[in-house]
Amino acid sequence: MSLRIAKKLLPIALIPLLFACEEKMTQGEIIQIGIASCRTLAPFIRKMDFDPKRSGFSSSESNIKGIALVEFPVNPGDTAQKKTWQDPTWAKYGWMGGIATDNRGNAFTAPVPKVSTFDTPLSRMNRIYKIDANTGKMDLACELPAADTSQGVVPYAVLGIYYDCHGSKLYVSTVAGSTRDDEKGVIYAIDPQTCDIVDRVEGIDAVAVFVGGITGEKRLFYGSARSSEVRSIELTKSGRFKGKSRYEFTLDQLGPRGDDKARRIRLDPNGNMLVFGAEFNYSLAVQNHRLEDAYVFTYDRMHSKWMHQGH
Amino acid sequence: MLVLNRIAFFLSFLYLFLATSCDRKKPGNDMDGKELIKTSVLSDNAPPVSGPLLLKRRAMIEKALSSELPLIFLEEAGREELSAQQLAVLDTLFTENMFEKGTGKPYLNEIFNVYKARPQEIPQGAAYGTIYRVEMYNFGLNLTTTALVDLTAQKVLAVNELVQTQPDIPLHLKDVALHIAVNSPEVIEALGFKPGESEALMPNTKTALNNTRCEESLHLCVAPTFVKDEKALWAIVDLTELRLVGVRWTHVGNAGPEKRISERNLRYDKIMECYCSQVNSVKKDEWQLNYILTSSDGMRISEVTHRGVPVISNAKIVDWHVSYSNTDGFGYSDAVGCPEFSQAAVLAVTEPRVVDIVEGGKTIGFALEQTFNSKQWPMPCNYNYLQRFEFYRDGRMRVAGASLGRGCGNNGTYRPVMRIALYGSGNTLYEWGESGWQPWKKEQWRLQESRTRYTPEGYQYKFSSPEGKGYYLEPGKGQFNDGGRGDNAYLFATRLHADRDEGESDLVSIGPCCNTDYRQGPEKFIEPDPEDIENQALVLWYVPQIKNDDRKGSEYCWAESYLENGIYKTRSFPCMSGPMFVPIGNQEPIAFKEAK
Repeated sequence: MSLRIAKKLLPIALIPLLFACEEKMTQGEIIQIGIASCRTLAPFIRKMDFDPKRSGFSSSESNIKGIALVEFPVNPGDTAQKKTWQDPTWAKYGWMGGIATDNRGNAFTAPVPKVSTFDTPLSRMNRIYKIDANTGKMDLACELPAADTSQGVVPYAVLGIYYDCHGSKLYVSTVAGSTRDDEKGVIYAIDPQTCDIVDRVEGIDAVAVFVGGITGEKRLFYGSARSSEVRSIELTKSGRFKGKSRYEFTLDQLGPRGDDKARRIRLDPNGNMLVFGAEFNYSLAVQNHRLEDAYVFTYDRMHSKWMHQGH
Repeated sequence: MLVLNRIAFFLSFLYLFLATSCDRKKPGNDMDGKELIKTSVLSDNAPPVSGPLLLKRRAMIEKALSSELPLIFLEEAGREELSAQQLAVLDTLFTENMFEKGTGKPYLNEIFNVYKARPQEIPQGAAYGTIYRVEMYNFGLNLTTTALVDLTAQKVLAVNELVQTQPDIPLHLKDVALHIAVNSPEVIEALGFKPGESEALMPNTKTALNNTRCEESLHLCVAPTFVKDEKALWAIVDLTELRLVGVRWTHVGNAGPEKRISERNLRYDKIMECYCSQVNSVKKDEWQLNYILTSSDGMRISEVTHRGVPVISNAKIVDWHVSYSNTDGFGYSDAVGCPEFSQAAVLAVTEPRVVDIVEGGKTIGFALEQTFNSKQWPMPCNYNYLQRFEFYRDGRMRVAGASLGRGCGNNGTYRPVMRIALYGSGNTLYEWGESGWQPWKKEQWRLQESRTRYTPEGYQYKFSSPEGKGYYLEPGKGQFNDGGRGDNAYLFATRLHADRDEGESDLVSIGPCCNTDYRQGPEKFIEPDPEDIENQALVLWYVPQIKNDDRKGSEYCWAESYLENGIYKTRSFPCMSGPMFVPIGNQEPIAFKEAK
């Protein structure tokens, strides 16, 4: 083997070594991933007259562009008692999608088009914004690698965002640059402190992203944007991708629509996986009616199988 | 006479299909998935199937709707099941949603199943064996109501409502679905023969009942499937409206059909493959044109010629701006276009169609139409837009559009932004005024208003070549006999540049929703330094302003749902707008020079 070839192969040969160097996880540790939460309330919210137990960030308040802090009423039906507040910087960058909060109370979010891309053109969509836990101000945090914005690409960029408490990584899925014929989406693992991209998986259009250990491995679960499937990729302890994507289960034929895409994934304290599904067809129509249904799945570790429990 | 009408209808449908569909190739085993999609058929304009089974079904519906309880009872069942059914319908909670709230009009309801409750369905403390589950489906609300009935105690233990949920269909409805499928011309043509009803693969299991959905209409649908050679033909049948939705072939592998076919993917795939991914053409009445559905500019026509002579280069509607007067800045800038992978907010879910224009019993031209609608239209804050291009035998042409409501309120103004690229590189636009026709020397805009002057024929503008040949432009003033009440339109004239894209390709969104003045988007191609436009390649931007109206008898840009035969139908009140192009001197269309 020539020295040149050996040099080229060296990084590839080192990959398993890199994973081998990672500290091993115990089963008890793994099983808590995605269940145990590290999220804390931002210090700036503590100073406000908002009940921390009933308050949270929202990007789906009607007629509020961007992010709002919402104190939900004690009785969910009592909408008149719902309290909202918005810092002027939270509306500055247009409509926003998913929100992920880290262990310091920082909130991360990304732009989504609402009905049209007039407010946020595609060229400014592949970005992550942060609401600083201390100042409460929102500003651009990370610019993801530029994607194709020419004609024919989908009018979306970041669709999923999730903070993994276990590996202290921010996972972001983007479909920027994808077309009908080419699935060009990327899932990034990002260091939220520096915005450095730690790892990435390319060629996947994902909506929801979530990290959980319920199957006995630390895995990134994601909802495909092109089908109703929920799939997963194994992660190392520090949160790098390891191995190939695998099928977990599908929302096909479930719920009132029967072709939902997994929009959010969570584990409840009992280890049930809650999948929030909604219609998504890469057009801007679905933003008009955010119909979402929750589907419950449990994992049978004996048979390595998911079971749908209802919705 | 009835027969003649039917033949005429069939012929017009046949023409429509030949004029606008994909290649009507026969499906082959060597075709890939996309090629097979092109052979699928949407049955939106097909006449309903008839036959004794459907007559019987319709009679059952009529009888139920005129009864005290608008309900089709389960007839073929055991004594205990029938008793459970009787007990259930005596329960007021069970029958609570049988009538529309407010009007008291009946919904169509039917008991689909009565069976001995499964152990997991029985409430704690109740005895197994005498508890029956009664399942009722409300066709109007797409709602399932279930009752748990204790026959021993002769009472209803629990009533449960499942919104947007459909129970397993009873056997007699399976027969109706098969009857519709096997008697539909689309199925017979696709298979090449009329199948026997036993050939449909539809086992009466839950899986089979749920093997398709009508996600767009939210109707009760099933899909009888016919296997021929290596392929399966899916016939989607709408049991709410008793009609075929469409048919689609898939390859059959060892593991069964490669993809579950539902109303949504039948429609979306067909429209994407046949109208969004390829240019189609229409040749009729000495007119010839190409058309395609765009990502965000609706239907775009191009290379329009009459008697072989070019008329316009292309035309489309780039945006629909909708603003509401009660809330400043509230509204939408709706792009319309392809159903998937598009920048459209309001989607094409039906095929384009060609329809004759008839006046005084005489066909005087034809129109190419496309509708775009929100899924939940006509519910509030959902929209439906019609795009229509009219071509007359005398050489006139019209670019038109309509809102079919319903929007977010009764104080809305619609402003479709129509873009018409004229053919040729040497056009001049003239406006009629006090001193006759005056040319526009620079890019500019003008509002059609009450003091606007028109020629005696009603023309406001004309464009022509140096030889004086061209078209008059007649804006809508309520004179087109289509219900339009006048356009109150802005007209912008801009120069077409070969080296700068000012809307020749898809325009994502040209302007905000809610400007109430001339700033509708095209001004960005004029300001701050208007260019010379005399004897140039020109683009006209025509932006009508139409206020909606929901007052009874005056509805305009409006739509409403109403109950008919126990299910919801939609009544719409379009507000047509758009200019007519009339050949100058009613002469042969001029031969423009090729635009550079």
